[in-house]
Amino acid sequence: MSLYQRISRGETTIDFVGLRRRWFAISAIFLTVAGIAFAFRQLNLGIEFEGGVAIQADNPAGAEVSEIRQAATSAGAGGARVLLINDGEAIRVETPPVDGDTEQRLVEAIAEVTGTDPADNSRESVGPTFGNLVARQAVIALGVFLLAAAIFISFRLEWKMAGAGMVALIHDLFITLGVYAITGFEVTPATVVALLTILGYSLYDTVVVFDKVEELESELTREMTYTDLVNRSMNLVLARSLNTSLTSLLPVGSLLFVGSILLGAASLRDFALALFVGIASGTYSSIFVAAPLLAVWKEKDQEWIDHRLRIERRAAGLPVTDRSRRRASAPAAMPLSGGARPRPPRKRNR
Amino acid sequence: MRRRLIGLFVVFVLAWGGLATLTVTGYEPRLGLDLQGGTSVLLTAPDGTDADVLEQAVEQMRRRIEDIGGVQEPEIQISGSNTVLVQLPGVSDEERALEAIGRTGLLTFRPVLGVTPGLIGPLGSSYVDPTTTTTTTPDTATTTDASSTTVAPSSTVPSTTTTEVAIPPELVDNIDPQSGLTLTDDPTEEAYLPYLTSTFGQVFPVILHLGPAQVFGDTIEDAAPGYDSTRAEWLVQLEFDAAGGQAFADLTGKAAGEPSGDPRRQIAIVLDGEVISSPAVNEDVDPGVGITGGRAVITVGNNQQEAQDLGVVLRYGALPVAFERSQVNKVSATLGADSLRIGLISGLAGLALVALVLVIYYRSLGVVAIFGLTVFGSLLIGIFSLLGERIGLTLTLAGVTGIIVSVGITADSYIVYFERIKDEIRNGKRVRSAVTDAFQSAFRTILTADFVSLLAAGLLFYLAVGPVKGFALSLGIATLLDIFVARAFTRRAAWVVAHTRFGGGEGAMSIAAAAGVPKEERR
Repeated sequence: MSLYQRISRGETTIDFVGLRRRWFAISAIFLTVAGIAFAFRQLNLGIEFEGGVAIQADNPAGAEVSEIRQAATSAGAGGARVLLINDGEAIRVETPPVDGDTEQRLVEAIAEVTGTDPADNSRESVGPTFGNLVARQAVIALGVFLLAAAIFISFRLEWKMAGAGMVALIHDLFITLGVYAITGFEVTPATVVALLTILGYSLYDTVVVFDKVEELESELTREMTYTDLVNRSMNLVLARSLNTSLTSLLPVGSLLFVGSILLGAASLRDFALALFVGIASGTYSSIFVAAPLLAVWKEKDQEWIDHRLRIERRAAGLPVTDRSRRRASAPAAMPLSGGARPRPPRKRNR
Repeated sequence: MRRRLIGLFVVFVLAWGGLATLTVTGYEPRLGLDLQGGTSVLLTAPDGTDADVLEQAVEQMRRRIEDIGGVQEPEIQISGSNTVLVQLPGVSDEERALEAIGRTGLLTFRPVLGVTPGLIGPLGSSYVDPTTTTTTTPDTATTTDASSTTVAPSSTVPSTTTTEVAIPPELVDNIDPQSGLTLTDDPTEEAYLPYLTSTFGQVFPVILHLGPAQVFGDTIEDAAPGYDSTRAEWLVQLEFDAAGGQAFADLTGKAAGEPSGDPRRQIAIVLDGEVISSPAVNEDVDPGVGITGGRAVITVGNNQQEAQDLGVVLRYGALPVAFERSQVNKVSATLGADSLRIGLISGLAGLALVALVLVIYYRSLGVVAIFGLTVFGSLLIGIFSLLGERIGLTLTLAGVTGIIVSVGITADSYIVYFERIKDEIRNGKRVRSAVTDAFQSAFRTILTADFVSLLAAGLLFYLAVGPVKGFALSLGIATLLDIFVARAFTRRAAWVVAHTRFGGGEGAMSIAAAAGVPKEERR
């Protein structure tokens, strides 16, 4: 049977938890690359955050990017960002904050090189307040959201799942920010939207995956350790995760492809790439980071240690103590120890 | 069967019929500036500004912009705790509109307590004590009363008699040590403000020492632009209410009591912390009575538009708080159209690919998903059209992104459900009961996961500003729709398909085939 069929039927037997060192190593490589990128290249903050001057002009003279940048530098505004709009029919120059005289020289220099009248060109000075306001408010909202989401997941699933989900979320956030650091894409208020999207998606995906673990947990407890349980859940949910990431990535990929290759819109391309990487990372981290983490963490619960011991004893043909036999055979009567588990088994569908 | 078919029919009528009706009657989503071009400005009030005050300011801005006219469907909304977003679609003369909307428009009439020539204020050495003599010469008049009793044009000229004057201690902190000028003007306090005065066509700077304002712009009943043909100047005629008229009479009466030529005979007209004129009260004004009639005039110069705009600003009174323009964003119409086109093309292409994958993978259930996506899409466009028309909701690029993401989440709801159906079938259930039973547990998962999205959307909407808000709204609407479609459409449609030969049979498109049941075992 092909791998595709086995995934589709949930019949794969990948040891997701056992191979966790491999998954964590992969994540570690990505995170290290992102970390190095942070260390050596700063995020390219847009003028909405940094403040600065942006000049937009028509370009009847057909000036090249290099000519325009040179004109800006000779006017005293180094480090200018030059964008061609509509295949060079118009240009946009963004510089860090400059004083009034430099700004005037810059306007004239750009008008000269593009063959336009300085008075016709739009010019805007942006204070750094707006972007910071957006970012600040987004961070506040995010903090409240993460707290609320953690409480909700703890309540609906359990708190260790909330914890593992948050780790996966931070993982995705760093990898996406790493993409911005590596590529030097401009970070704008739209980027904040992209990051929030990714965080929302990451958490959403983790919840779907953990919901499966929680569901199996109430059905199968006797023969499986918690690790087995997580592995089984991941193999069952694998088809869904692959399909979901495919269907989520298709629209974004189409935005990436149509936006950048066919129509040449730089800002959309940046946006779509960040979303693409973030969503892919979000799907990956749910299965390969959050789930093994959860298994390792839960195996530290006394309840699951006992459970594992019992299974090992049974497998070795040793007698199982009364206490643990009672537990294993009648989970409903079991005293609660530590975690939120177990509930009475739900009606089996089979 | 019949009950479910009727249910499906109702959903289709609601979604497709609703959208068709809206389209025919001319409703369509309102596009944000980033999708259609125009100017948006973010005005920031000082931190800690009261929400009521902000709302009052927005209300005044709205009235101003209606009066100015010429801007199609402007949008002014509070965004965040202390910012107001002004959006002006189209790009004709937006600078002028912005100037009229955003300026505070706080007009006050204040007594002049003294005049310092030059650019250095009272902390510098040259301060004219008002009690010492100063020479005055005629200047252009700027204030008149209703009966056209012209106020004597007069102004001060630098005098050599200067003395040091102590500044009231409560003012010192608010004075720039370099220039000696008041830093932030509070109309209820004394202030030192710069002013350009002109004598015989010669312009020179002076610094006016002003007392607390006696007459405020909120007592203005009407302000109309006018033209003074004898002076060839545009002006704004002000009409005070009873209280304002009395206060104006008191102020001018007091000034008229000062000796002729004394700077204290002047009245300063201050708009937003800037002295716009400083005429002296006419010689024939009775000191005991002042200028009655409740009228005054502000000259503007030869700019008709400025007179009109100032009239609008003054008519509706000052904004209750001063705003700072923290961002101006101008998007050309072509750039906006491009973004929209890219969004539409890529959105449709993405949807087509999603549909293809779903059909290949889930066969007849994939067809259910495609119809479900059209229902979802129709409802989404319909809701945006309705909200656009009713409460002025606009669809921005960030909103489009939210929708693209929500398409992924909606597709996931189908996938969760369909995978569950496959599980049930592999566990030995018959297709028909699998379809019904799987919905229960799949819906539970969908609700849990969607709740997380709703939580995010709700919190971001209430706490965030700007583009993040638009994103949150689309995400929230789309997530609610996802739950609705799953419950009202998907459940019924999957049931119906399972009970037809198409889905419940043994063919390549059947649900059993999608679940990987070998051909010979498909019932």
